[in-house]
Amino acid sequence: MTRSTLLTRTAFWLTLAVALVVFLFPIYWMVNTSLKPSEEIFLSPPTFYSVNWTFDAYFDVLANRPLFRYLINSFIVATGTTIVAVSLSALTAYGFTRFKIRFATAFIVFLIFTKMLPETLLIIPYFQLMSKLGLINTYLSLILAYSSFALPFAAWILIGFFRSIPTELDEAAMIDGASRLDIFLKVVLPLARPGLVAVAMFTFLLAWNAYVFALVLTTDADMFVISVGVANLVGEYQVEWNELMAAALVGAAPVLVIFSILNRHLVEAITAGALKG
Amino acid sequence: MNPTNRTAAALPAPRYGRRLKWAQRRAAAAFLAPAFIFLAFVVVFPLGQAFVTSLYRIRGLRSSFVGFDNYVRTVTDEAFWSSLGTSLVFTASCVAAHLAIGLGLALLLNRVTVARTLFRIAFLMPWIIAPAIGATIFLWMLEPQFGVINYLLQSVGAISEPIAWLGRPWSALVSVILVDVWRGVPFMMLLMLAGLQTIPIELYEAARIDGATPLQQFRYITLPNLAYLMIVGTTLDIINTIRHFDIIAVMTGGGPVSATEVLPVLLYNTAFRANRLGEAATIGILLLGIVLAFSIVYIRAMRLDRDGGRD
Amino acid sequence: MIKSLKRAASLGSMAAILAAAPALAEPVTIEWQNINLTESQYEPVWKHMVADFEAAYPDIKIKPVLVARKDHWTKFVTAAQAGEAPCVVTTDIAPAAYNGYIQSLDALWNAEPEEFRNGWSEDIMRGVRFDGEVYGLPTYGGIYAEIYNRDLVEAAGLDASNPPETFAEYKTWAEALSGDDHWATAILGGPTDTTTRVLLSWIYANGGEPFDEDMTESRFAKDPKSLEAIKAYLGMEAAKLAAPGATTTNYLEQTNLFAQQKIATMRNAFWGIAKVVGDNPDLEGKLFVAMPPHGEGAAPATVARQGSVAISANCEHPEEAWEFIKFDAQAKYAIERALKANFMPLRNDLADAPEVAGDEMLSKFLTIGQSAIAYPPSHPYWEDISSGDIVEAVQAALLDPERTEEIFTALDEKLTEKLNDI
Repeated sequence: MTRSTLLTRTAFWLTLAVALVVFLFPIYWMVNTSLKPSEEIFLSPPTFYSVNWTFDAYFDVLANRPLFRYLINSFIVATGTTIVAVSLSALTAYGFTRFKIRFATAFIVFLIFTKMLPETLLIIPYFQLMSKLGLINTYLSLILAYSSFALPFAAWILIGFFRSIPTELDEAAMIDGASRLDIFLKVVLPLARPGLVAVAMFTFLLAWNAYVFALVLTTDADMFVISVGVANLVGEYQVEWNELMAAALVGAAPVLVIFSILNRHLVEAITAGALKG
Repeated sequence: MNPTNRTAAALPAPRYGRRLKWAQRRAAAAFLAPAFIFLAFVVVFPLGQAFVTSLYRIRGLRSSFVGFDNYVRTVTDEAFWSSLGTSLVFTASCVAAHLAIGLGLALLLNRVTVARTLFRIAFLMPWIIAPAIGATIFLWMLEPQFGVINYLLQSVGAISEPIAWLGRPWSALVSVILVDVWRGVPFMMLLMLAGLQTIPIELYEAARIDGATPLQQFRYITLPNLAYLMIVGTTLDIINTIRHFDIIAVMTGGGPVSATEVLPVLLYNTAFRANRLGEAATIGILLLGIVLAFSIVYIRAMRLDRDGGRD
Repeated sequence: MIKSLKRAASLGSMAAILAAAPALAEPVTIEWQNINLTESQYEPVWKHMVADFEAAYPDIKIKPVLVARKDHWTKFVTAAQAGEAPCVVTTDIAPAAYNGYIQSLDALWNAEPEEFRNGWSEDIMRGVRFDGEVYGLPTYGGIYAEIYNRDLVEAAGLDASNPPETFAEYKTWAEALSGDDHWATAILGGPTDTTTRVLLSWIYANGGEPFDEDMTESRFAKDPKSLEAIKAYLGMEAAKLAAPGATTTNYLEQTNLFAQQKIATMRNAFWGIAKVVGDNPDLEGKLFVAMPPHGEGAAPATVARQGSVAISANCEHPEEAWEFIKFDAQAKYAIERALKANFMPLRNDLADAPEVAGDEMLSKFLTIGQSAIAYPPSHPYWEDISSGDIVEAVQAALLDPERTEEIFTALDEKLTEKLNDI
């Protein structure tokens, strides 16, 4: 190894390390804070590692708030949203890539239009709609709301992805007498799996983290999702920082796990989908 | 993913005659209708309602039709224009930083050969955490007296006394921008990383043989190959950032002295602090118009308008 | 479109029926959205009260609606707009009544026996009237006093038994209490209406009148007494007598500074004591409370934040809701709230109750409360004015103290216009 490559390598790893520290420091600080006993929170200088570390904050917050119930609610809502958004976007993507669509542009504009509505603009009309339908305090209201936000992006990725699946396969299947629906379900969908997984992950994350709609659409404490449960820990006077961080980490853990397991699909899907084939 | 495979287009309509063409259309409609109807229902209806709201003077449950009065009021209000300015500064800075840092990180990560997955997950974490939570942790770290950031800066001698980062207009704006950069970089990095992986290695090898410097390789191979994804990614990011609400709502609520009051925050404050729902809806519709303009760029970039959804 | 909407609507109501499966002939359910339900000190108190109520009224069920404090109003407005607001809600009366979100309780109030109505003074009842009608019941108050840390006061060589009575004396104390990394006090300048409450407490204590009698004119700068108080108060940051970063300081930051002994005094209510002692148990027994200092030649004065509970306009069971409100307002729960959650009682028959009189701190607050001016002033736009316009002016003045008069003159102009644009 020559000196210059050694230098380049050192610089490379150093840059990476600095970037890593900068990006992960806040998360480290969350973990660190959540493990501190209450007396240590305001210590000055702050402790970077508490020798008296404890899970007390986790136990306390779990004892006072039904976080598991909130997690289950979040899980139901996020899963429901994922199912709705992925099915609808897969259908859309198939329609788009397999037929000659006359109003394609209009449809795309429409899709994108829906993606950029400021959430705060929609709170009241959306609540009115859901209350007219009698859906306040139901999972369905949240699933419908989040699906509408997730769908455009999901469709965008899948359109790119489906386009990369050769239409000859459809033709071959059609000659064998398969119906459109068969082709969609048995030929295209299996091939589009990485794309579907990625879209599912995006959608799940979006639904898991969303707050404002859950805030207004659920009033029953049994229906709260985790984002609302965590927000309710912030008082005007009182923020138990260690408990808040503990709750936030408990709330983020499921998505972190899912993303850790499935993360390679993300890059794959964007590679296939976002580029024009 | 062989491009020649995709040229076959839709199943040939003319050969099968009119009846089949009709059937074809119906099949297309059947595939597209669910999403269309769904979106029409859950988006167009509330949006229409918001537009109607913008034509009324609303005081709680009492309202009176005022036509475009709210629009006149809003565009003649200094607060709207200063908020628009803040929005533009916020969005431009955030998006530029997302792209530049995201690309930089992607270039780094693309060369990592060990523990790739681990690195990737690590860098994705800020994006996986809910923005409101991320903002809350920054609020805590930026606390003037007890926050870790002031402590660190003081220990290395960068500042001599604690700074109230969110207490002054400029530093507050810079702070919320930095937090949004932290949150937004990973997604851009993901896009760029995906793009980098599609560039054939042979291109670089050939360039190296021709004696191209790494900078030249970046300029003449990497950038052109990423251009499309960069445009798409940036436009998506602009749309997402200009309507972003959570971070600023948690960290500053728009202050101090409106320094961080971007349009979605102005909208929120108008609706729920001032209780002027008509004017709030007007701000929303105007914001929508602005974002719509960007979306046209987006569509052009995707070229979907030209090829009608197929190649 | 309309057809599909209708179909969807019927689908939706089916879903709703499915969702609410065990809905057999149920008792009346009253939803109760209270701004404080998520606060940990209050939680045991209200849970116990609700259990008592449900035992006493088996036909009425109470459903608490928990919401983070900062989102309380947003959630309520959204639901009220759709005619789905919780029956019982804590709110400032004027904005909610003006917007038609809550209903007049005049008939219910007047039907009550006199001895019940005598529980609240006419002065306090003024805060729950709008257009002459009763719209709510006062539940708890926050009387603003000056709270001191005895250790820090004594360490600075000051006499804790003789706290400052005038602005000038306060300034002398403040100078003694401030140092390189600690300050006498904290100015509130953050983005909530607590900024306005504390500002008003200073203005009132100087005999200033920031608004005219019928709330049609703003006089923050126009009234010299008011402007003088503003300058004295806000000027403490530039003089390094108050903790830096006032533009981000609200209750949370102020009480953190106090609990960690970074500041020696704070303008806060009874509730604030529970918070700082909770944060730092070492402070137990080391705090003392005094009437806020007043200006030269002015009478001592402060503000008393009044919390009220109301019945939403769309509530279908106002009688049951009223029963619940009355139940919660009983003396015994007011006392429990005061002792366990540090909510100041507003009933005038409580000051002599043995539990209250026996609590030295509490009775001190009640004494101070006798010279308190009720907050909030009754105006439909008060929320916007107090956490928007006034906060912005305070922040601007903190950032550029030289221009204080100019900034508040501009505020007067803006507010006078706003106050009359109804």
